[in-house]
Amino acid sequence: MCGIVGYAGRNAAAPVIIESLKKLEYRGYDSAGITVLGNGIETYKAVGKIVNLESEIPKNLGGTIGIGHTRWATHGRPSTENAHPHNSGGNPGKISLVHNGIIENYMALKERLIGEGYEFKSETDTEVVAHLLHKHIYGSPDGKKARCELLTGLREALKEIEGSYALAIVSADEQGKLVLARKDSPLVIGLGKGENFAASDVTAFLNYTRDVIFVDDFETAVLTPDSIQIFDREGNLKEKKIEKIEWDFEAAEKAGYEHFMLKEIHEQVSAIHNTLAGKVSELEGAIYLKELNLSEDEIKKLSSVQILACGTSWHAGLLGKYLFEQLAGIHCDIDICSEYRYRNPVMHEGTLAIAITQSGETADTLAAVREIMSYNCPTLAITNVVGSTITREANSVLYTRAGPEIGVAATKTFSTQLVLLYLLAVKFALVRGKLSPDYVKSFITELRKVPGEIQQILNQKEIIKECAEDFAHAKSYFFLGRHLSYPIALEGALKLKEISYVHAEGFAAGELKHGPIALIDEGTPVVAIATRGQTYDKMLSNIKEVKARDAVVIAVASIKDTEIAKYADVVLRVPQSDELLAPLLSVVVLQLLAYYTALARSCSIDKPRNLAKSVTVE
Amino acid sequence: MKAIILAAGEGLRCRPLTLTRSKVMLPVANRPILEHVISSLEKNGIKEIILVVGYEKERIMNHFEDGLNFGVSISYVEQKAQLGTAHAIEQAKKLISPKDPEFIVLNGDNLVEPKTIADLLNNYEGDASLLTVRMEDTAGYGVVLKEKKRVTQILEKRPGGLSRLVNTGIYIFTPQVFETIEKTPISENGEYAITDTLQLMIDEGKVVTSITTESKWLDAVHAWDLLKANAIVLNSSKNLKNEGELEEGVIISGKVAIGKNTRIRSGTYIVGPVVIGENCDIGPNVVILPSTTIGDNVSIRSFTEIQNSIIMNDCRISSHGQISNSIIGSNNTLGPGFTAEEKENLEININSRIHKAPKLGTILGDDNRIGGRVLVKAGVMISVNCQVESGNTIYRDLSRDSVVL
Repeated sequence: MCGIVGYAGRNAAAPVIIESLKKLEYRGYDSAGITVLGNGIETYKAVGKIVNLESEIPKNLGGTIGIGHTRWATHGRPSTENAHPHNSGGNPGKISLVHNGIIENYMALKERLIGEGYEFKSETDTEVVAHLLHKHIYGSPDGKKARCELLTGLREALKEIEGSYALAIVSADEQGKLVLARKDSPLVIGLGKGENFAASDVTAFLNYTRDVIFVDDFETAVLTPDSIQIFDREGNLKEKKIEKIEWDFEAAEKAGYEHFMLKEIHEQVSAIHNTLAGKVSELEGAIYLKELNLSEDEIKKLSSVQILACGTSWHAGLLGKYLFEQLAGIHCDIDICSEYRYRNPVMHEGTLAIAITQSGETADTLAAVREIMSYNCPTLAITNVVGSTITREANSVLYTRAGPEIGVAATKTFSTQLVLLYLLAVKFALVRGKLSPDYVKSFITELRKVPGEIQQILNQKEIIKECAEDFAHAKSYFFLGRHLSYPIALEGALKLKEISYVHAEGFAAGELKHGPIALIDEGTPVVAIATRGQTYDKMLSNIKEVKARDAVVIAVASIKDTEIAKYADVVLRVPQSDELLAPLLSVVVLQLLAYYTALARSCSIDKPRNLAKSVTVE
Repeated sequence: MKAIILAAGEGLRCRPLTLTRSKVMLPVANRPILEHVISSLEKNGIKEIILVVGYEKERIMNHFEDGLNFGVSISYVEQKAQLGTAHAIEQAKKLISPKDPEFIVLNGDNLVEPKTIADLLNNYEGDASLLTVRMEDTAGYGVVLKEKKRVTQILEKRPGGLSRLVNTGIYIFTPQVFETIEKTPISENGEYAITDTLQLMIDEGKVVTSITTESKWLDAVHAWDLLKANAIVLNSSKNLKNEGELEEGVIISGKVAIGKNTRIRSGTYIVGPVVIGENCDIGPNVVILPSTTIGDNVSIRSFTEIQNSIIMNDCRISSHGQISNSIIGSNNTLGPGFTAEEKENLEININSRIHKAPKLGTILGDDNRIGGRVLVKAGVMISVNCQVESGNTIYRDLSRDSVVL
């Protein structure tokens, strides 16, 4: 998702544009840029968050007309060259523009323009529009004198363009105005007093005005501080209705949900679809991970895997360790990054390092990656943010493709991290001859069922809500899991701690009698993850142990399990899935349990106290 | 102009499909009915949309988010209890200012084309306007009696004969309607109906007009009506793109859209109009015949034939299946040799009332697991989360969580 903004007013444009871009930041960001009309065209771009761009811009940047852009790439590396705005007509150029949409015939146009002497600085489709527009106005790459107005040139240029666009354009030769065009991409104009705004989304300028005009397909518009003119396809002036926006933008972002966290829990269905897209083939039983940059030979030669992560990502990594060892037969270690850095680890040759970080900016993880690279280990990053620091440092990157995650408590990025680790472990197992192609084929069938099964859990969230409300005022909560469910027990406890401030601990159930059982007394809720698997019977014994100490047992178990209800007080059901994949389902139950507990305790769910979304300090 | 779309109801008569999603989210040509409605509004320049949601609202919010991807701005209000259409509209009151101009109200579960809405937008007048369509058989619909342009009486679901003008439930109101809504009495079924509000306006001497459209307006009363709507929409859809991957030896004729990352394997024969979603794996040697919609993340194995059917997301259909005039909900696993028998002019018993279906195979809700060589008799429906072991013939409807051994 990209966002464009424009400003035409009497105040300095840069701060207004930066603030508007920040409002669009919730859609994700990997690079951003701005052009203001000051002394001619002045363009600044930066990779990363809007604050990075902010620090690039000189403090007293003049110019009261400007445009800005924020980008969330789904593929392709973000760079300052590829960031918008794109300019044409030399340096700094005559024309500068930002674009949201896709120019479908850009290859043909690009070849033609190169033939006519235009030089391309980026790989984007957008730059074609800048040069095409320049050509229509100035005739040739070194044309100095405008042969027609910006708006006239634009109308001619748009006739040659196929695809979708929302464009905001400024020209060095037409000071004091901003020109817009739209087809199939959102664009809205905001009406202020002595200033006017344009953006992909009203939230960008709601702090300034609530009076808006929605631009329609094939319309163009000219904004000055005091006027707005909108033209139809043929260039006739058009009357447009002014509408008033009455909702607040926080709510608009959350699309009707009370909290980002609940929205993101629900988004896991589509997030996992996206993670899997193009990576598996059911009939062949094939897993495609070409981003891995490891040949089959290299995979065969790996002696071990070292996973590095913090927090929730560490829990994903712990499950990864189990999978790499159990399925692929590769020795696997996992470290907490802030420990790894300072413990003088002994590394063997042939170790693959896997760093897991949602944001790609986690300071401790970055430091641990730098440390491990000094041992000449190939590194693989698993992250959600295209173009984040870790993607530039690691040798290869797998993206979770979960979309922007705003809630501080990670949900959809955790489950998509797990999906990638499953794919990696099974891929390694296949290459190393540990799993038969036939097994892998049925594994992929089962994996493709997961989104539907998560939807089944979401359909029953009322039951989980009731359970959460019943125990919302417990002083402490315990989570028990064994084998593949152990990392999920840890994650369930972390979620509860993070957002509901209830003391919660996750344990490997077998560790219970080595100490923690002393903590259990009458009425303590104990969540036991008891999905079917090799340790199911052991888990039942653990449940009996805590029941004997008068704990209240909340079991997470399969729909088909008829036995569990004899031992547990409450049973939260998950669909009957492949044993290997059950963690992907149980975690959704625990996320919902944490969410509804926090809700019942009236906690600040999306921004819990003392926590930040990505920990960029050590 | 702002639009209020009513999307809070379940759509009882479309069960079992609506047990897990509301009627507005039922797919037609791989887009929820509500998306067709929003897109028709957007094409008329109506971009400020208020969705009144309730039943299974998360599915709606996940799909539409804030509307940006659909070229509109969406805000949501919740109708916590299903107390009728007037009550639903009242929930949106806080987002409509008394100084606002007229606004449009629509049902999210009726398919409309842009022209349908334009017909009302270009002709409305008076204190309120409503859009009607002419129908031969008006049974089950509310009808309108009028003198010239003015509506004199609105009748809820009465036996046919009185009028051929069916109320589409598409209205234009001024913000003053909220005053009348407040006075609307509760009806016999315990609901506040907007038709009662309109009748009250007429009785108070306000000018209520009706405009009749010849453009498309489709109401899927029963689940099987979705097949007809799907066929009509597929037939008239344009700009169908193939973004998938076709192996050598795939034959495609007619209008066929295939989504990203979908692979169609050798020997597969597809006759359009057909729409196939993203991330599907189809073939080898599958036959897909006209008026079929297949969702995302679906796999279909060899020698299965599908015709005039809707297959929703995340389904796995094994080899040698025979599915026609049927609707398969999300996340179903069908074993090899699944057969949906089909018959014409069926009489289907829902809550001891007989409904006629023109031609129907079967309808499956979500999350069922069906073994091998299972035959479902024509018109028999399977609810959600059922399990059918191999070799069974299903003669009667299966309720939620049934197990057939």
